[in-house]
Amino acid sequence: MKKIYAFESKCLGCGLCEVYCRAAHSKSKDIIKAHKRENITSAIVIEEILQPKAVSYFALQCRHCSDPKCIKACISGAMYKDEDGIVRNKKEKCVGCLSCVLVCPFGAVRKSADGKTVAKCDLCIDYGLPACVDNCPNEAIKLLDDKEAEALK
Amino acid sequence: MKYLIIGNCAAGTSAAEAIRSKDKTGDITILSNESYPAYGRPLISYFLSGKVKPENMSYRDPSFYESRKISVLLNACAQKIDIKAKSVIADSGKKFDYDKLLIASGSVPFIPPIKNLANQKNVFSFLSYGDAQKIKEVINKDSKVIIAGGGLIGLKAAEGLFGKVRKITVVDLADRVMASVLDKPAADIIQNHIERNEIEFILNASITAVEGEQKVGRVVLSDSQELECDILIIAVGVRPNISLAKEAGIKTNKAIIVDKYMQTSQKDIYAAGDCVESVDLISNEHKILALWSNAVNQGETAGLNMAGVKHEAPTSFAMNAISFFGMQLISAGLICNTDYSYAFADSVANESKVRRLNIADDRLLGFVLINDFQRAGIYTDLINNNTKLSKLEYDIKSKDIGFNIYPRDIRKDKILGKKD
Ligand SMILES: Cc1cc2nc3c(=O)[nH]c(=O)nc-3n(C[C@H](O)[C@H](O)[C@H](O)COP(=O)(O)OP(=O)(O)OC[C@H]3O[C@@H](n4cnc5c(N)ncnc54)[C@H](O)[C@@H]3O)c2cc1C
Repeated sequence: MKKIYAFESKCLGCGLCEVYCRAAHSKSKDIIKAHKRENITSAIVIEEILQPKAVSYFALQCRHCSDPKCIKACISGAMYKDEDGIVRNKKEKCVGCLSCVLVCPFGAVRKSADGKTVAKCDLCIDYGLPACVDNCPNEAIKLLDDKEAEALK
Repeated sequence: MKYLIIGNCAAGTSAAEAIRSKDKTGDITILSNESYPAYGRPLISYFLSGKVKPENMSYRDPSFYESRKISVLLNACAQKIDIKAKSVIADSGKKFDYDKLLIASGSVPFIPPIKNLANQKNVFSFLSYGDAQKIKEVINKDSKVIIAGGGLIGLKAAEGLFGKVRKITVVDLADRVMASVLDKPAADIIQNHIERNEIEFILNASITAVEGEQKVGRVVLSDSQELECDILIIAVGVRPNISLAKEAGIKTNKAIIVDKYMQTSQKDIYAAGDCVESVDLISNEHKILALWSNAVNQGETAGLNMAGVKHEAPTSFAMNAISFFGMQLISAGLICNTDYSYAFADSVANESKVRRLNIADDRLLGFVLINDFQRAGIYTDLINNNTKLSKLEYDIKSKDIGFNIYPRDIRKDKILGKKD
């Protein structure tokens, strides 16, 4: 399956991916409204790498693990893998207990801003091409299958 | 091939799913002595509070069972395992033959010796959806509720009842809440927070007797205090439900003894979840780790092996993610002797936070995070993989943890899915 991969050498840490991630998961689909009114949590974490003389960044989101710990830890049955292998969270079933946050080895599941559920990458399944990939100004995040990722990394 | 599973919760459901992933044609039957389809057991307090509606209690959709041809029989209590005949006899008298059997019978409430407790109508456990429904039916705005037990289950019951009754008092023998999980400093933070919601605690005391005919009207404590009571909830702990296994001659200690494939002392009989003894990764001791994720993992392991695929159970150790009145507690591993403790006030969120890490011999052994949870799973993974902290990019005590803690090559392997 295709997943999102980040390229450290290209990431500027600008945070646009987060902005578009929020918009893609908002009702309005509008970057300003999503930010100002809807209080959406981005499913991306921007990691900072401190080097002796420079800083580099990369964006990290759910790896859609082959054997997802979050699904096994989920006490409500909200977390599941769909037919395409995408790990998703049914908001209406999630109670925000954070059992998934406790076990995600990537730290890629986050408590939602309203505290009621969690936010995680769903590859923008209801949106189209992942918004972060689509809007990265420097092509630092790409949607790749396993082989392409292996070759590039 | 005939697969039979006793118990329809975390371990049973996950075993059935694993069996079907490997054996497309065998018969899979689950026996449950409850009257509801599998539900998230930890959700019962959310049901009590009204936060989770009955339609969202079920753990899996009906289509989960239909599409996998898993047959679930409700109100069917297994009463005897006949090892020689390879069959299980249910309370209806019906006999179920098996080639492979899984015991996933979970826990039963522990009822401490309390004088005059037998045959009282207003005394409940808090372990099942049925318990929560019964409690919900009898409470009203004037009820004075006493909860025996300040562990996770007792506190969750208190939270579920909050705002629905007049008074809630939690009584515990220990000097702190959640004594089996937390040390005193962490427990005090949780307790203070819960007290702010007008829940009363009486610690270092136990209930020795109850007064009343058929209905408890008063409880008597070990320190001679007496409390008025309309509803008594006994939540002092659970015991592994091993009577079936024991009677069949399967080896048990405190719980059912299994090997790393989740097989019991008896060939073709497996056990998983709250009813077995797990090996604790940190102490290497055999322990009962009554945790949802552990039950799911072990159920899966049992299922795969039952279907003929050799698979070892993953490591396990204590861990918890739980919230009380909006205070989020996340802990894992060994959490006494924390050598690093950091409490700080988050001025933005206007709440106090605690981060405590238990580090020894260059390894993270455990942690407690209160209101400071964002990337907790990275800590959990350090424990799980027994990672040498000196090999990491920075000192985990020095700042918030991130995936950037790993050197580039490890990061890459993890992201490409080459390492767990
Ligand atoms: C209020 C509460 C909150 C909790 N919160 C958390 C939490 O936040 N995180 C966490 O990790 N864990 C939590 N737990 C613990 C968690 O629910 C258990 O570890 C988990 O349910 C164990 O699953 P299991 O399948 O092994 O057993 P169980 O869930 O106990 O299921 C066993 C099933 O077998 C049935 N059964 C038993 N004997 C028979 C028989 N003879 N015939 C037929 N059926 C039988 C039982 O009725 C039951 O339905 C909580 C538990 C409670 C009660």
